[in-house]
Amino acid sequence: MEKQIYPNLRETLFRTTLPNGLRILVLPKPGFTKQLAYFVTDFGALHREFTLNGTPCQVPAGVAHYLEHKLFDMPQKDVMEEFATLGASVNAFTSYDLTAYYFSCTKNFPQCLKLLLSFVSTGYFTQESVDKEQGIIGQEIGMNQDSPDSRVFEELMKAMYPIHPINTPILGSCEDIAQITPEILQLCHKAFYRPKNMVLCVVGDVDPEAVAAMAQEILPAEDLEQVEVVRSWQEKMSVSKAETTCKMAVSMPMFQLGFKAEPPQKGIDGIYQEIVGDLAAEALFGESSQLYLELYNKGLIDNSFGGGFETVEDLALLTAGGDSGDPEAVKNAIFDQIQRLLQEGISQEDFLRMKRSALGRRIRDLDSFDTTAFRLCAYLFDDFDYFRFPEIYEAVQREDVLNFLSRVVSLNRCSLSVIYPTKEET
Amino acid sequence: MINTIPLQPGITLRCFRDNRFKQGRLSVQFVRPMCREEAAVNALIPAVLLRGCDTCPDLRDITRTLDDLYGASVGALVRRVGDYQTTGLYCSFIDDRYALKGDTVLAPMVAFLEQLLFHPVLEAGAFRKDFVESEKVNLISTIASELNDKRAYAAAQLLKIMCRKDSFGIPRLGETAEASAITPEGAYRHYQKVLKESRVDIFYVGSAPQEQVAELLKPLFDYPRSCVDLPEQTSFVPGETQEKEETLPVSQGKLGLGFTTSTTLRDSDFVPMQVFNTLFGGGMTSRLFQNIREKNSLCYDISSGYHSSKGILTVHAGIDCDKKDLVKQQVEQQLSACQQGDFTQSELTAAKEALLSSLESTHDSPGSIEAYYATAALSGLPNTPEAYMLRVQQVTPEQVQKAAQKLRLNTVYFLKGV
Repeated sequence: MEKQIYPNLRETLFRTTLPNGLRILVLPKPGFTKQLAYFVTDFGALHREFTLNGTPCQVPAGVAHYLEHKLFDMPQKDVMEEFATLGASVNAFTSYDLTAYYFSCTKNFPQCLKLLLSFVSTGYFTQESVDKEQGIIGQEIGMNQDSPDSRVFEELMKAMYPIHPINTPILGSCEDIAQITPEILQLCHKAFYRPKNMVLCVVGDVDPEAVAAMAQEILPAEDLEQVEVVRSWQEKMSVSKAETTCKMAVSMPMFQLGFKAEPPQKGIDGIYQEIVGDLAAEALFGESSQLYLELYNKGLIDNSFGGGFETVEDLALLTAGGDSGDPEAVKNAIFDQIQRLLQEGISQEDFLRMKRSALGRRIRDLDSFDTTAFRLCAYLFDDFDYFRFPEIYEAVQREDVLNFLSRVVSLNRCSLSVIYPTKEET
Repeated sequence: MINTIPLQPGITLRCFRDNRFKQGRLSVQFVRPMCREEAAVNALIPAVLLRGCDTCPDLRDITRTLDDLYGASVGALVRRVGDYQTTGLYCSFIDDRYALKGDTVLAPMVAFLEQLLFHPVLEAGAFRKDFVESEKVNLISTIASELNDKRAYAAAQLLKIMCRKDSFGIPRLGETAEASAITPEGAYRHYQKVLKESRVDIFYVGSAPQEQVAELLKPLFDYPRSCVDLPEQTSFVPGETQEKEETLPVSQGKLGLGFTTSTTLRDSDFVPMQVFNTLFGGGMTSRLFQNIREKNSLCYDISSGYHSSKGILTVHAGIDCDKKDLVKQQVEQQLSACQQGDFTQSELTAAKEALLSSLESTHDSPGSIEAYYATAALSGLPNTPEAYMLRVQQVTPEQVQKAAQKLRLNTVYFLKGV
């Protein structure tokens, strides 16, 4: 494996690509007891239209998440129980653009890794078990509908993106999932759970070569499928609805503001854009900003307020949200502040302080195995080596941040999603 | 390795020296008895302290100071540990080795903590009125916002009903009525009392040697104090059984069952009870999850939790509103099976392994190190995760069966849709 040392971070990363196309990252953590493995596919809720070896395919919403649930089935094997017997805990999650399976353990690492690789690479779906999952996921959809945090974001996506499939919830609806069959799951498994489309990332006190050898032994020797995802989801830069509201059993109004930014690029330009976006969010409404102080002092926001720059495949946005008695006033204050900020600029001193703070927080985040494994995988799918983030902070300029803000914070790019309390609660 | 250093009567510094991490963590907890009169004001004080101090009179100055310290964070630390409530602050900050050459973070961090704790912005001999008033509004809305997360709301309602005569029924942040009644003068007077009389538990995890940490912290408490002893922790005294239903506009119902166990972490059968809880409803291989979710598809989430400081075991499930009786009956069935010793060796092994693995990885993050040691010292939990693990390994099937037999259903709570 190729070994790279990052002296500023005091980390060493091993990486390789197997002949079958699987990319592997291993971050040794000497002295730690926990070992963590992430096995991730570049397949999420968005990927519902594709061609497999030339044949066009279209699948219902919610299929990536359904597949994540059902992949734990194996012939003559109870995957959960085997992990439990090995003393490991296993779990998975589906996001808009990827699906991740992971376990953590303090012993039996080779057996756990073997089990992870084999269950994720085995598509075994019976009619009976697929039917049974409808009830469980139906309850998960119900729980999600009762969660204001999820709803406020989902409604915002609908208002901002008329075309991009981010306007559909990751779980799909009960009607969507009723259409899912074992054949559809098998098709998606074949198209996306193949070595070229996946990354294996291990964090912990392990032997990197042994990880690569295990993956080579368990996974197919070659990957010959030809898959193209159809991405006919280019959006205009303006939003389709400036405001969207709904009512739920919440204690006070909850809001989420979104500002459309240019779609993210791949590689170094992508993370550069992301760090510019994060710093822009901080400069405009972060805790060190004039605006935050004013809004907090007026009682328009509390410490639930927060935001930042988010990217999902082919889209990027600036968000800000939290609880507020008057979300409209918060939105107006942000538009007032952007005028002032663009006029007055950011002092070099403030800018350096913001960069130092953001860099320090990213370094601290490296103490979390999960965050680190996740970021290493997600950035690798975007063709970037995550551990190079310190040099990006060096490179980012004040002008980039101001230019970003002047483009992005404009009325036609902005939607406001609010959840108001139902009458019963007021 | 944990080192305990008494700084003065009633003030203890615990240090966990470790150079594996990028960051250090420091917490200062003033320990109070949990009671209705104090709960809300104890929860409010850290929020007021975080609004401004002599050197940083407003939020923006505070954030700038933290930004200069490489993006350090300071936050309110309000915990419930059995019959105690703690109030104080914690900070997380980059380890000195990752700062620019010649720069240090720990010493200025402690200096800033001293400012926040001991030099709040005052007005007419009390906390600043506008700070107190706006943090009262925030506290009240935080208390109310529990409603937003229906699972947490149902869990809190269950405990409130079940423990209405016990300090455990008082919410961690207090209640709206007491929060509304706080005045700047009353809060400041109370804080002076907290500073003077409370037991103080300080915890540090990071790469600095304990002598250095002690030397930095000792001067902070160089003022006249007379520490008042805390009452002993007590076990839960159950009232008569009860059942309550509540209606809200929700699509999914939440069922909560509260059992008494008569076993707290101070009792000899505490570890078997913990193992039983894990086997019963502690994770994805537990009885409840495997049978009620996986086999019968009745829910997405179902789990049990053991509140070991009081000896209360709760079960929570998100279910269809018309499935309450069915799910309750199935939970009782699973419990009865455990009481008859009807569980396999591999279920027991899985439960023990899950506990062992989580205890073993306690030492892998500064946050979990702080959370374990800083509460163990108050609750009576085994002193180290290693001592705890030894006891888990020794648990027998008979002990688990006996633990299951101690459960008595006391309270049923159901949140249903309209």
